[in-house]
Amino acid sequence: MTGLGAVGRRGPGMAGLAGRTRWAVLAVAVLLGVLAVGQLRGQAGVPGLSNLSAQELGVVVANLNAQNEQLRGEIATLERQQSDLATAKDRGESAVEQLQADLARIRAWAGLTGLVGPGITISVRGPIGADGVQDLVNELRNAGAEGIAIAGIRLVPGVVVQGGPGRLAIGDVGLGDAFMIRAVGSPQILTGTLTRAGGVIALLATTYPQARISVTPADTIELPATTRDLRPADAHPRL
Amino acid sequence: MTAIRARLAAIPSWQITLAIALLVLGFLIAAQLAAEGPRVRYTTQERSTLIETTLGLQSQQDALKAQILDLRTQIGELEAEGPGSDALVRQLNADLDQARIAAGLIPMQGPGIVFRLEDAGVPGGGADTLVTARDVRVVVEELWLAGAEAISVNGERVTVSTAFLDIGGSVLANSAYLAPPYTIAAIGPAGLYDRVRASASFAAFVAERVEAEGLHLSVAQPDTVDVPAFAGTVNVRYGRPTGSPVPNP
Repeated sequence: MTGLGAVGRRGPGMAGLAGRTRWAVLAVAVLLGVLAVGQLRGQAGVPGLSNLSAQELGVVVANLNAQNEQLRGEIATLERQQSDLATAKDRGESAVEQLQADLARIRAWAGLTGLVGPGITISVRGPIGADGVQDLVNELRNAGAEGIAIAGIRLVPGVVVQGGPGRLAIGDVGLGDAFMIRAVGSPQILTGTLTRAGGVIALLATTYPQARISVTPADTIELPATTRDLRPADAHPRL
Repeated sequence: MTAIRARLAAIPSWQITLAIALLVLGFLIAAQLAAEGPRVRYTTQERSTLIETTLGLQSQQDALKAQILDLRTQIGELEAEGPGSDALVRQLNADLDQARIAAGLIPMQGPGIVFRLEDAGVPGGGADTLVTARDVRVVVEELWLAGAEAISVNGERVTVSTAFLDIGGSVLANSAYLAPPYTIAAIGPAGLYDRVRASASFAAFVAERVEAEGLHLSVAQPDTVDVPAFAGTVNVRYGRPTGSPVPNP
């Protein structure tokens, strides 16, 4: 508004125009303000979403739909479990079977017991960095792998591949130039996700051209339990 | 030249002010139209519908996750309350508690650090100046290597099944849509940050992504860090457990 005052005071021959000029500048300023706010709100109105294209939004929607369906399935399982436990409690019975089933399910998912089922074997030969191996692992998780082991070591939180080409290690175990990654899950989905055009293996072929990565579906893959102690020393349950 | 200067000097200051304002106005209108243009032509309704759908599904997902956490709490209580006089039931309950902690199904608290990772904020800076899923994953991996016991990213617990994926300029984790800035909270031993900093691969990440591309990485070391429970599915459809459980939880 400083500009408006200046216009009124300093403009030569402004006696007849001052009123109209003020209104004109005011109108422009208001319009400017409205447009600037609109621009800012358009960019920040929905955090993150405003940056996505319609195609990317479609992917997000599909993903959310699929995930919500899975969550509904989980809720149904939990509700059955809750009902069984409540019934057992009302009858004064112990719920040993339910407890054992729940324990087995959580242990298997968390990598605390061995796992067997259909899946794939990935053979990795030649120089590759830890980032490349972790890319493969990330893609396997994305494709719904239920358990993964590298060179016989089950992947659980805290187990990460490290080192550059020729110096790869998982924990204290060196991986050498050739090793196997095994994953339990849908062989079709896992294979398709890894080997699709423009997928992770295609990308790794450009980053690590000397590395040879091949995927083999299998009816039976057996994964060991983790040997890592997952009991926290510093973290404790939040009450 | 003198005549031109004289004419320029004669222009009233309000006209100059108005001209500048009109220039800015024109620029803003052009920017607005440019931003709206493709939507008008191709996706105005589709895009706004998709955003509304996304927001609706996200809020559904939040509600479903809250329901899962609630059900798990109730189940835990029912299991603990059951007729548990015999040693087997007590042992099973204790094992379940430990297994849930190991699986990330229990919210945890403890000492630790919190990283905050943000885009470089350079207008037109290109994809390299945005935080990617891989950047988030690298920080998480460095924290695991340094001894972290529990990690979350923007409130999503990192578990054995967590993948990080790029969607536009944002990240999907546990199929939850996460928008920057990314807050990576980790519980771990004293000196966790020093261990992370001492890592050669973390130093390389800082050099390549923070120093070279301008990503913002900050760290806080609060007295207590909270990491929420995983609220996703814990299902094993294809595999079945083998052998006897290992002695560890």
